[in-house]
Amino acid sequence: MNDDVILKTDHLSKSFFKYQVLTDVNYQLNRGQIAAIIGPNGAGKSTFFNLVTGYHAVSGGNVYFRGKEITNWARHKIARIGITRAFQVSNIYPKLTTYENVRQSILAQQKRTLNFFTPAERLAKNETLSLLETTGLSGFRNTEAGILSQGDKKKLELALALASKPDLLLLDEPTAGMSSEETHETMQLVKRLNKDIGLSILFTEHDISVIFGYAQKLSVLHQGVLVAEGTPEEVRQNKEAQACYLGEEI
Amino acid sequence: MDKKNGFLKRFRLPAGLFFVALILPLVVTEFWVHVFTEIIILGLFASAFNLIFGYMGQLSFGQAAYYGIGAYTTGLLMVKLQWPLIACLPASMITAGLGALILGYFCVKLRGIYFAILTMAFGQLVFFIIFQWYSFTGGDNGLQGINPPVWLFKANAYYYFSLAVVTVGMILLYFITESPFGYTMKAIRDNTERTEFIGINVQRYMLINFVISGMFCGLAGALWGPFNRSVAPDLCSWQNSGHPVFMAVMGGPYHFLGPMIGSVIFTFLNAFVTGFTEYWPLVSGLVMIIVVLLMPGGLFGIIKSKGYFETKAVVLEGNNPGDTGDKKK
Ligand SMILES: Nc1ncnc2c1ncn2[C@@H]1O[C@H](COP(=O)(O)OP(=O)(O)OP(=O)(O)O)[C@@H](O)[C@H]1O
Ligand SMILES: [Mg+2]
Repeated sequence: MNDDVILKTDHLSKSFFKYQVLTDVNYQLNRGQIAAIIGPNGAGKSTFFNLVTGYHAVSGGNVYFRGKEITNWARHKIARIGITRAFQVSNIYPKLTTYENVRQSILAQQKRTLNFFTPAERLAKNETLSLLETTGLSGFRNTEAGILSQGDKKKLELALALASKPDLLLLDEPTAGMSSEETHETMQLVKRLNKDIGLSILFTEHDISVIFGYAQKLSVLHQGVLVAEGTPEEVRQNKEAQACYLGEEI
Repeated sequence: MDKKNGFLKRFRLPAGLFFVALILPLVVTEFWVHVFTEIIILGLFASAFNLIFGYMGQLSFGQAAYYGIGAYTTGLLMVKLQWPLIACLPASMITAGLGALILGYFCVKLRGIYFAILTMAFGQLVFFIIFQWYSFTGGDNGLQGINPPVWLFKANAYYYFSLAVVTVGMILLYFITESPFGYTMKAIRDNTERTEFIGINVQRYMLINFVISGMFCGLAGALWGPFNRSVAPDLCSWQNSGHPVFMAVMGGPYHFLGPMIGSVIFTFLNAFVTGFTEYWPLVSGLVMIIVVLLMPGGLFGIIKSKGYFETKAVVLEGNNPGDTGDKKK
C-alpha cells in the first residue's frame, strides 16, 4: 500500500439491526492532509468515525491505518496506535477539573497511569499547562469540567484528543457551540497543528465557512453512501453534492 | 508558604484522628478498647472496599469474601503451622489478592447492577466453600484458638498493634488514590467510555484495582482472627459484605476518610445500641434511611456543602455560565 495513505477504508459498512447506515464506503486520507466529510444530518458522518475508532463494531468491510488492518480493534488499542478523536457531543470528565481532565489524557499517553506512588499532582505539570494554554483553557484550570460552557467543553474535547499525541485526529463537529470568534481560533489551531507537526486531520462540520475555509479535500456522504469527493472547488460544482444539499448553497 | 499551608490543611484531619486514636485507650475501659480495635479494623476494610465504590464507581457486594480469605489465611497459618502473626499479614494479602484476581477477572467484565450481583454471588461462593470444607476450615464450627503472641495478648497491646498496621495500610491506600493510577480510577468512575478513547485498557485497570482492594480487605481480615481469637464462615457472608457499604455511604464515599468515619459511627452505634436493646438492625436501618434521605454524600458530604472544609476552587474567569453556546445547525 501507498506509504502516503494514513487512513483507508475498504467497503466499510454498518447497519443497526436492519437499518443500513453506511454502505460500502471506500475512503482514503493522505498523510498530512486536512480533509472534511460533509453531508446532511443523519448521513452517517459520526458513524464513520465510530467505526474507525472502534466505538461501534464494523458490520462489513475493513479499516486500515498506515497500511495495517485495525478493523474492530479495541478502542484503547486504536487510540494507542495513533488515532484519537474529539466527540460531537462533548465527552469529558465532568467531575474532574479542566486541568485534571487534560492531565489524565497526558499521563495515559506517557504510560504513567500504572504509577501507584507518586502523587499525580506532581506529574506532567508543564505539559498540562502548555496544552491548556494552546487550547485556550488556561482561565478554567480549576473549574469542574461539567460546568464549562458548550464551546469550552468542545475545546476540552480537542485538548483530550491532542494530549494523546495522535498521528490522525478525528474531529466531529469541533466548533459546534462556539462563537464565530472561537470557531476561527479553534480552526486556526487545527491548521497550525497540521502545518507544524504534520498532523493528519479529518473533520465533519455543518458550518460552510469552516468547511471551505480549512479542508483541502471534501467527501460528501449521503444516506450512508459516499456520493462525491474532491477539492472544495470540485465538490462545489458537483451536481450530486448539490442535490444532497437541496436548496442549500454550497 | 502557600504550599506548606495547603499541606497542613490537608493533613490536619487525619493527624487529629490519629492523635485521638493514640490516647483514647488510655482513658477508657477495656470494653471500649475492644470497640476501638474493631472500628479501625473495619475502617480499613471499608476503605479498601471504597477503592471500588467511591473511586472506581462500582458497587461490590462481595468484599467480605476477601476479608474472610485474609482472616482464614492468618487463622490457618497460625493454628496449623504456628506462623508468627507478622508473617501472616502479607500472606493474607497475597491469598486475598489471588482470590480477587480470579473472581475479579469475571466481575470487571460487567458494570452497575450486574457487577454488584456477580461480586455478591462470588462472595456467597467463597462463603459456601469455607462452610462446607469441614476438614480444612472447620466448617460452621470455625477455627478456634487463634491466639496472638504473648506481647499482644492485652487489649491495649493488640489495639496499638492494629493501629500501626491500619495506619500503614491507610497511608498506602492514600498514596494509591492520589497517584496517576488513583486518578485513572476517578476517570473511569467519571466517564468510563472516554477513558478507553485516551488509550487505557479499562477492564485491565479495573481488575488491578479489584485486586488491590481485595489485598487490603485481606489485611483487615488478617487482623480480625487474633483479635477475636477465632474466625467463622459468616465473616464471608453477604451481610458482612454489606457493612463496608453502610460505612462508606454513612461517612461519605467521595472523601478518603469517609469509610473510616463511617466505621466509627457504625461500630460505635452497634456496640452502644446492642448494650440495651436487641433491636440493633432496626436502629442501623433507621440510621441508614436518615443518611440516604438527608445527607447524600454521607457525613463528609454535608460537612463539605456547608463549607467547613475547603473544596476545589471554582474559578470562572471570563466565562459566562448563562451562555450554553448551543448553536443552530
Ligand atoms: N447507536 C445507534 N443505533 C441506532 N441507530 C443509530 C445509532 N447511531 C446512529 N444511528 C443512526 O445512523 C444514522 C447516521 O447517524 P450519524 O450520527 O452517523 O449521522 P451524522 O451524519 O453524524 O449526523 P449529524 O450531522 O446529525 O451529526 C442516523 O439515522 C442515526 O439515527
Ligand atoms: Mg454526527
